[in-house]
Amino acid sequence: MFRWFKKTQSPDKLKNLPELIKNLKESGDFFHFESKQHGSSFFLYYFKTLVHETPLNEHILRFLSQEPITSLKDIKDKVPITGIIITEDLKIICEKVMTGYVIVRLNENSVECALIPCQVKKARQVSQPEVEFTVVGSKEAFVESLDTNIHLVRKRLPVHELKAYELTLGKLTNTKVVVMYLEGIANEENVNTVKQRLEDIHVDQVVDSSVIMQLISDNRNSPFPQLVDTERPDRVVSVLCEGKVVILSDGSPQALIGPTTLVEFFSAFEDYFVNWIVASTARLIRFFAILFSILVTPVYVATLTYHYELIPSDLLSTLVSSRQRIPLPPILEALFLELAIELLREAGARLPTKVGQTMGIVGGIVIGTASVEAGLTSNVLLIIVALSALASFTTPVYRMSNTIRLTRFPFLIFAHLWGLLGITLCFSFLIVHLLKLKSLGRPFLEPIYPLRVKDLKDAIIRLPLRFQSTRPVQLQTEDTKRFNIKIHKDKNDFHE
Amino acid sequence: MSGPIVRDQYKVSPFLVFYLVHSVQVGVGVMGFQRISSKVAGNDAWMSVLGAGLSIHIIIYLIYKILNKEKGDIISLHKNLFGKWIGGLLSSIVIVYFIAMSITVLRTYIEVIQVWMFPDLNKWLFGGVFLLLTYYCLSGGFRVVAGISFFGVVLPFYLVLTMVFPIFYGHFQDLLPVFNHSVKEIYEGVKGASLSYLGFTTLFMYYPFIKEPEKSHRWAQAGHLVTVVIYTLVMVVTIAYFSTDQLENTIWATLTTWKIAEMPFVQRFEYIGIASWAIVILPNLCITVWAGGRGIRRLLKVSQKSATIPLLILILIVSSVFAERKSIDLLNEYTSKVGYYFVYVYIPMLFVVQYVKSKVVKEK
Repeated sequence: MFRWFKKTQSPDKLKNLPELIKNLKESGDFFHFESKQHGSSFFLYYFKTLVHETPLNEHILRFLSQEPITSLKDIKDKVPITGIIITEDLKIICEKVMTGYVIVRLNENSVECALIPCQVKKARQVSQPEVEFTVVGSKEAFVESLDTNIHLVRKRLPVHELKAYELTLGKLTNTKVVVMYLEGIANEENVNTVKQRLEDIHVDQVVDSSVIMQLISDNRNSPFPQLVDTERPDRVVSVLCEGKVVILSDGSPQALIGPTTLVEFFSAFEDYFVNWIVASTARLIRFFAILFSILVTPVYVATLTYHYELIPSDLLSTLVSSRQRIPLPPILEALFLELAIELLREAGARLPTKVGQTMGIVGGIVIGTASVEAGLTSNVLLIIVALSALASFTTPVYRMSNTIRLTRFPFLIFAHLWGLLGITLCFSFLIVHLLKLKSLGRPFLEPIYPLRVKDLKDAIIRLPLRFQSTRPVQLQTEDTKRFNIKIHKDKNDFHE
Repeated sequence: MSGPIVRDQYKVSPFLVFYLVHSVQVGVGVMGFQRISSKVAGNDAWMSVLGAGLSIHIIIYLIYKILNKEKGDIISLHKNLFGKWIGGLLSSIVIVYFIAMSITVLRTYIEVIQVWMFPDLNKWLFGGVFLLLTYYCLSGGFRVVAGISFFGVVLPFYLVLTMVFPIFYGHFQDLLPVFNHSVKEIYEGVKGASLSYLGFTTLFMYYPFIKEPEKSHRWAQAGHLVTVVIYTLVMVVTIAYFSTDQLENTIWATLTTWKIAEMPFVQRFEYIGIASWAIVILPNLCITVWAGGRGIRRLLKVSQKSATIPLLILILIVSSVFAERKSIDLLNEYTSKVGYYFVYVYIPMLFVVQYVKSKVVKEK
């Protein structure tokens, strides 16, 4: 499958170091430097764009030109930089020089060389989370640099149990990917599943963690995301403490969390920052919003196509008067509006922010009112569609809200086919699909099915923190207890 | 005496047997079981329903006695008790019974839809989509079947609340005088009522799929108990709401009571009820087809997939061929008759035969 790839890339073709250097010299940013003084000579080769110039000039060059150097071992001993490698393995040399190492040779034809690390580290500053913004709580978000991201996690979790297993993915991109978990808490089976699935990835490019997500999902043909992605280091720390496994990928500001459940996609991290009553209400509203978002337009189509009798006469008169002048059957009317909303969203997502706002106004107000006045859609449906679009955006995880909007279309078609019966059928399809889904081999619908009462403490509602004394059963953690509940128990008496 | 080996990862926890038993019992039966027992037992029909329920508690006890000893399913039981050929024959009869049950369920549901919602429903298309859904469910293995039976109980449970509406209009003095029917009439009612409880015999097939199956006994009893309570409740409300003569002419009494349910935003509740009923019917179909397919697999040593697909096609064809009311009634009658003898005659007989055989073997 990757034969083409071997032909062009393999360093096997280059026999020795001088040949490799000759090959590298074809690039314009590959520099070489020679020095011959007091009898000793050295040759330096590096990629200007990958190397930090200051340490190169201040440390490496200064030491190399001041001290007499007779062997490569001298370099390793004298240059005050850690991680110097002396090797003649072409594969290692090639790999290192491409990640910002400097090649030092003492002799123009020698095959052995020293590799001095001198990478330039250019990364965006840690900034505010934009997708998962919360009013209270930390304002730090992951950036594209893997080291910074690991730092953000480690400084919040300064324990030696926090392991970061590293591996390289992508035959061309050589992306560093790190699996983080707490040893002694995370289930080893889960960790091994993740490691195994990552190792089984054989693609040429891993440019973002979402690529990994697609490649290691249990069911790749499901519209439902089976791993949560987050840009919040505090959320990552929190799930690590629960015993989950986190995947960080270089170049991606999104961490992947697994195993996860359906309900986790509807829990915002802010839920843990506010009082449990407020948090639970917010969650219930979100669940309602999702059901509303999926079902309301199909129910409109179903009732107005087949079941007029279902609606009480007072309500029916409102509906009929709003639909009086509409020439289209309900399904076309609904599809027209749903498509309009999808167009708006898609156009808004592709445009720069400022133009995007204008888009929203043009689309929302002008098209909406105009289509009602033109008699293409009814007022009631316009309200319903706008509300259900709004409701779909309440989902805290962006990927899930995409899925929810997508789910509406099969429901619409089924509603047109068999009315309410069709909706139930489609709903059954959805449930069976969700039942079959797994996240890293763990059931996706847990704690609802399989019913685990212990895990309901943090599912549809979030109980007070003192009830959260055990880790989710779903994860089968090695250490199930989070803290001793007795300390947190209130004394059951009136204050005197 | 050893049954089939089922790997642990495919097993379900014992408490799910509650849903498996309950969901397979409550199917099309509850929509109109009242007429059959009240035909003979009149206003004492609720006693028949209760009596039938209690008698089935004993049958479930017997099933567990048999299976706990056998540690397998009915296929291995037949083979051990009657040998390969006679056992195989009996097993295939049981399999045919399961398939007939699924045909009855699907056909009756389609009939309800045709009568109450869409008179010109394309039954081939609808049946096809429904069976596709069943296949989608079955392809996930028994865990998904158990899952759908869980949702098939939990999600439509709100329908029990709709029984409140007829209470407002009911005349509960209709229940009096109690015992104005002879024991024989009530017994005839029991016979009629027991039919709506059928289906739990699929336990014979999925028993090896339960983790620590001995522990699931109380859950099976509990699942059945809930069915008994619901049926008795519905029966009492129905007797209060309908007059005996009217009930005799009402094929789907439960659906008729839904007609009076009225909320500020919904009238004609039966549309919602019948539509929701699809989630109740689905596990029914899934469990019975699963049991049939599993039986064929065990008997003929073919893969369950290649057994299930022809089964589903067969169900689609047969259920679409039975077009008339008369033939549907006939179908219902025969399946329930077979079910009746299976439950009340065959299961006790199996118990006795197994008991005697184990004694004989021991003495040897």
